[in-house]
Amino acid sequence: MTVEEEIKNEIASHKVLIYGKGTKTAPMCGFTVETIAFFNRYGRPFEVIDVLNNMEKRAALSKMVDWPTLPKVFIGGQFYGDTDILDEMARNNEIEPLLQKVFLENPA
Amino acid sequence: MPDADVTVFDKTGTMDHYRVSVVSDVFQNKNRLDRQRLVYTALSEPMRDGRIHALEIQSQTFEEAGVRTLP
Repeated sequence: MTVEEEIKNEIASHKVLIYGKGTKTAPMCGFTVETIAFFNRYGRPFEVIDVLNNMEKRAALSKMVDWPTLPKVFIGGQFYGDTDILDEMARNNEIEPLLQKVFLENPA
Repeated sequence: MPDADVTVFDKTGTMDHYRVSVVSDVFQNKNRLDRQRLVYTALSEPMRDGRIHALEIQSQTFEEAGVRTLP
């Protein structure tokens, strides 16, 4: 399986997925910590995949979504950038309805 | 981005964690992701060679920044 297929499988099998530096319990980068904290506030399950030392995967990811940095967030299989983007979406109350849709919850 | 009005903040004093506020009409009708991609592309060199380690980007059009409205 190519690294691109591996990534596609991962994106498809997690409703909320963060590619970052370090793991959920041992994040190695401030931005990864920030992103984990961001999603902890919403209380839905999410996955963190550590690509800190996997240069090939990082390059493939950056090429796939035309985005050079980590962390990279995918929600419902869609790319949403990083906390710069997510914070702005949160300020516009776009995150909660998005998560409800992705987790197939009926709106409150 | 020839018309860009750029303000750079050194977030941590270590000269590699920056907050950049870019105001340019090139962002007109572009969503957040595309705006950031434009800034990343413009800064790809210093990001690749490590002069920039972390970058926080604010991207607005002149109108959004309340500077001037388009004709």
